[in-house]
Amino acid sequence: MEILKNKTGSNLVIYLSGRLDTVSAPQLEEELKASIGDVTELILDISNLEYMSSAGLRILLSAQKTMNAKGKMIVKNVNDTIMEIFEVTGFIDILTIEN
Amino acid sequence: MNKNIKYGLSFNIISFVVFLLLVFSITVGIAGYMQFTQSLATEYNDSAFRTAETAATLINADRIDEYLENGGEDNEYKLSLSRLDTLCEKQNVSVIYTIIPDADYSHYTSIFNSVNANTGYDRWNIGYVRETTNDEYKKIYKEMYENGLERGTVIRDKNLNGGLPHITSLIPLKGSDGMVKAILCVQRPMEQLLIGRRGYLKHVSLIMIIIAILASLIAGFGIRKYFISPVKKISEEAERFAAENRIADKNVLKNLSKLNEMRALASSVEKMELDTVSYIENITSITADKERMGTELNIASQIQEGSIPTIFPPYPDRKEFDIYASMTPAKEVGGDFYDFFLIDDDHLGLVMADVSGKGVPAALFMMVTKILVSEIAKTGISTDEILSTVNNRICAHNKAGMFVTVWLGILEISTGILRASNAGHEYPAIKRANGKFELFKDKHGFVVGGMDDIKYNEYEIKLSKGDTIFLYTDGVTEATNANNELFGNDRLVSALNIKSEFSTAELLECVKSEIDKFVGKAPQFDDITMMAVRYFGGK
Repeated sequence: MEILKNKTGSNLVIYLSGRLDTVSAPQLEEELKASIGDVTELILDISNLEYMSSAGLRILLSAQKTMNAKGKMIVKNVNDTIMEIFEVTGFIDILTIEN
Repeated sequence: MNKNIKYGLSFNIISFVVFLLLVFSITVGIAGYMQFTQSLATEYNDSAFRTAETAATLINADRIDEYLENGGEDNEYKLSLSRLDTLCEKQNVSVIYTIIPDADYSHYTSIFNSVNANTGYDRWNIGYVRETTNDEYKKIYKEMYENGLERGTVIRDKNLNGGLPHITSLIPLKGSDGMVKAILCVQRPMEQLLIGRRGYLKHVSLIMIIIAILASLIAGFGIRKYFISPVKKISEEAERFAAENRIADKNVLKNLSKLNEMRALASSVEKMELDTVSYIENITSITADKERMGTELNIASQIQEGSIPTIFPPYPDRKEFDIYASMTPAKEVGGDFYDFFLIDDDHLGLVMADVSGKGVPAALFMMVTKILVSEIAKTGISTDEILSTVNNRICAHNKAGMFVTVWLGILEISTGILRASNAGHEYPAIKRANGKFELFKDKHGFVVGGMDDIKYNEYEIKLSKGDTIFLYTDGVTEATNANNELFGNDRLVSALNIKSEFSTAELLECVKSEIDKFVGKAPQFDDITMMAVRYFGGK
């Protein structure tokens, strides 16, 4: 998985590509923990994400909870595969999804 | 090994010492021999010259030509000859002779010739002409006549043609006018010289052999004490260590030798032993830890396996339904589980769940979820209420932020009515008695454990006689082959529909084998868990 970041003030955009699974999830968790500190708007652009496992969902959920407390989190450019995962797992109800 | 070192070192070093001594002895011997020969010869020669000088006084050199002319028939000549004979005998020289070489020194004519009786030689008469013996003589004759050489010596110890080795001392006989008239030669045997020389050789050799033996003994003793013995001790210690793998009770390596190199070797061995022991201890403890963890994982796996029903058929006396389920964990313990239980005589609880993450944390979370679901289900409330309750209970203590997807159904056995709720889990697949398996797109709620106060929906399906419901986790649809392709819903549905007549066990076997075929040699990342329930109708 590849993680790209673009931070402007309190606005952080993270571009994810590849597979977000058990192997790569800890990498994203570390990345978020390190850079989410003063962020009030977190945007996850996942247009190039091929696959997300439950380990990835867990990171998204924890990021969502963190951002609920201090601002907002938007998941952008969700492709069909990932959207189906969001639908099946009910994440579609708790995430703010913009396409 | 010890014996070889001992033999090798001692033998080699002593051999080397002996060899060096031998070379030294031979060099010294040859130098001494030459020096000895020279001084002995000088001494020998000096005495021959004294004899020669004495002899010269007995000869009237001015009249030599006259003697030759009258063939020795002269009283003075005879007197001189007789005195020379006496001198020859008294001085114990072999021959005293006087000669006149010809113009090119290639021949000479004998004048006086006195021969010692013990030599067995014959006397040369006056006027006897003879060829000059060799170039050495010729050169001396020439030097004496032409360049005023006062003394000459010829040593003959080889090319003697059967004669004995001898030394000849030559002096010129001068007339009163100072001109050289003849050459006087005194010949002495070299026997004594040789005897002296042989004695010298014998002595030197004997002394050298004794020195060589002593040096070898000293070298051998020294090597044994300073090298072999410490090396042997170190070697023994190393062997002991290799056999016992522990530090010796008594430190044999301390103060082993005064030599720096030996001490360095000993301390290296000592350090190696200490390092090895600590390394072994380290490895032992790591291995023990690993074994313990392995054992614990194994036990955890057994506990997990024991916690889900694995005996089929589970209710042999219930003819209304048939259940079969299987779980193939990707690691030792997984986060998937299935469960089924009779809530009462008419209600069968069915659970299919998948915990986020893997390994021991997932397994622990799974155990909690499984117990909560079955215990709360047994209170008789609806499936959506059960999931809400479980969700709130888990969220209250969910520090790790884990969650679990759950499909929960309760089948009313008498009517075939299945009430179910889905908390973020995969769609079930349903086959009507004469139809084919299709995914049932039920309404999904959020995963359990993700957030507080989630509301779930309950839906109802009426199962008729021969209908089958198939439940699974994402390990099935997300099984991945070497090309990173997912098994997916379509392949799953096709696999389910391969056979039209089957038992629930056969159905699961068929799906599993299709997954295995698809995945090939790619590693299994996720648990693969499946459950199938067929309804045969109420009583």
